[in-house]
Amino acid sequence: MLSRTLDRIVDLMASLAGVLLLAMMVMIILDIFAREVGLSFSAHFFALTEYSLLIIPLLGGPWLVRERAHVTVEVLLVTLPPKARARVLTALCWLCIVTCLILAYFGVLVTLDTYTAGDMDMRSFDMPRWMLLAFMPLSFGMMVLEFFRLWLRGEPIARVGAIDIPNQDN
Amino acid sequence: MAWYEAFGLLIGMIVVLMLLGMPVAIAFLASNIVGAAIFMRGATGVEQMLHNGYGAMTLFALVPIPMFLLMGELFFYTGLANRMFNAIDRLMGNVPGRLSYVTVAGGTAFATLSGSSMGSTALLGSTMVPEMMRRGYNKYLSIGPILGTGGLAVIIPPSALAVLLATLGQTDVGDLLIAGIIPGLILATAYVVVIFLWTRLDPNAAPGYQAGSVSIGEKLLLVVRDVIPMFLVVAACIGAMVTGISTPTEAAAVGCLAVMVLAAAYRALTIKAIRSSLAGAMRVTVMSFFIILGSATFSQLLAFSGASSGLIEWATSYELAPLAMLFMMIGIILLLGCFMDQLSMMLLTAPIFFPLAQTLGFDLTWFGLILLLALEVGYTTPPFGLLLFVMKGVAPSHITMRDVWLAATPFVACVLGLILLVIFVPSLALWLPGLSH
Repeated sequence: MLSRTLDRIVDLMASLAGVLLLAMMVMIILDIFAREVGLSFSAHFFALTEYSLLIIPLLGGPWLVRERAHVTVEVLLVTLPPKARARVLTALCWLCIVTCLILAYFGVLVTLDTYTAGDMDMRSFDMPRWMLLAFMPLSFGMMVLEFFRLWLRGEPIARVGAIDIPNQDN
Repeated sequence: MAWYEAFGLLIGMIVVLMLLGMPVAIAFLASNIVGAAIFMRGATGVEQMLHNGYGAMTLFALVPIPMFLLMGELFFYTGLANRMFNAIDRLMGNVPGRLSYVTVAGGTAFATLSGSSMGSTALLGSTMVPEMMRRGYNKYLSIGPILGTGGLAVIIPPSALAVLLATLGQTDVGDLLIAGIIPGLILATAYVVVIFLWTRLDPNAAPGYQAGSVSIGEKLLLVVRDVIPMFLVVAACIGAMVTGISTPTEAAAVGCLAVMVLAAAYRALTIKAIRSSLAGAMRVTVMSFFIILGSATFSQLLAFSGASSGLIEWATSYELAPLAMLFMMIGIILLLGCFMDQLSMMLLTAPIFFPLAQTLGFDLTWFGLILLLALEVGYTTPPFGLLLFVMKGVAPSHITMRDVWLAATPFVACVLGLILLVIFVPSLALWLPGLSH
């Protein structure tokens, strides 16, 4: 039940990222067109595109963890005996969890700080900075859950070339 | 802390985590957290790291990364890539080693459009190698050209990797993209010459067999229907840049639109193809941007801790000739390429190499292009180049790792030759960017 809810949220975030990616292409084309015909509202497209560049990866981050699509270097891993390899992978999974947890925690702090200070991101239009920064704790928080789920299931944190190595001793 | 201790700590942490098998992006973030805690006043440093990432990711110059990737994925999933391969194959008639040339021509076009060596190698390795082996091609002649075309992907625009390197090195994105055109064409020609000589010296490498005859009319139709339109996509991209209609950064979106229009014209632009393309583009985009998030702070940490300046002072204190320094940098990349992917290599070396290159008085566009080529060689260098493993993974099972190494060698030699050529004739890289100014 919890797992399915997590899947749905991660799917929704990834789908939004995909739509935003497509929208970004449209925005840039419209921007070029607007500039060619001498329209002046094109600066907004520019700013929106830049914001999309931040939001797309942050929305897609948890999905990438679930897909186990991160690039890893497998040179040492493949030389380890199976038990040692499983232990290293378990340790790495927890290191990923701790890293994302720290970033999610500080992401919340940074978002709250900018909200309280009323910081604005000033480009062609003013945007409250916290609205954009808030995607960071959201992304890292969801990544914590995804890494944790991988550990629970005993799945490897990334597809290691042709071999699929479990990340737990069991 | 002395500069070399700081340097050892920062680089050492990342290298150890990467080598242990931690996802590259997360390894960077984890090392940055530790680095920020030590060199940037603890918690404040980690908060600063997130602010840095925010600034580094909302840069318009990064637009080509997702756009070029989307373009390549669309090209693949709408079946346009296959269509072009088939057409080139039929057009070449009975030329000895025909399929090897097809691989170079089609591979160049596909690698160029997708900007991804790994994707291009996987696609060609899984489709062309079995077909060539079935027709009696020598295994080396089947595999080698495919590994070679990966080198073209990174230098001929559009190249997502070039954009990333220019961003990391804080040099002009457009210039680096355009600088790769002439060397890219030279490299493609060198590959063709290698195949020609190979089939002349060893006629058994590519068996003579009769391809189905194609009339002149059919050939014309194939060119007009299946080849020219694909190259129009590249032309649209480069044309938009050169004519000033769009900036080099925006040209990526133009290329993306061009592929979509083309796919729609062939009635191949299905919802399924768009969804698959978006998912494929997202995979690499998300990972690259997380790496950028980490790298923004990594280069700052190198600067804060005094590691960058210390290293530069140390390196320049030996008063080695700039050329010797350049060869040393290339050597380091080749060594790293044994166990790292291009992105990781770039992230580790760009923050150190670019300031060093600037101190040595190198043109950064020229230097960037050499670095790109070295990255690709590193990626294909036996024994551990990652592209070799990709090929081993997708090629028929009886192909051994040794076969892949041997097949790669002449084509790696071509790229090494090109690096030397660009070093000693810089105008090959700098003439076109100069014109566009």
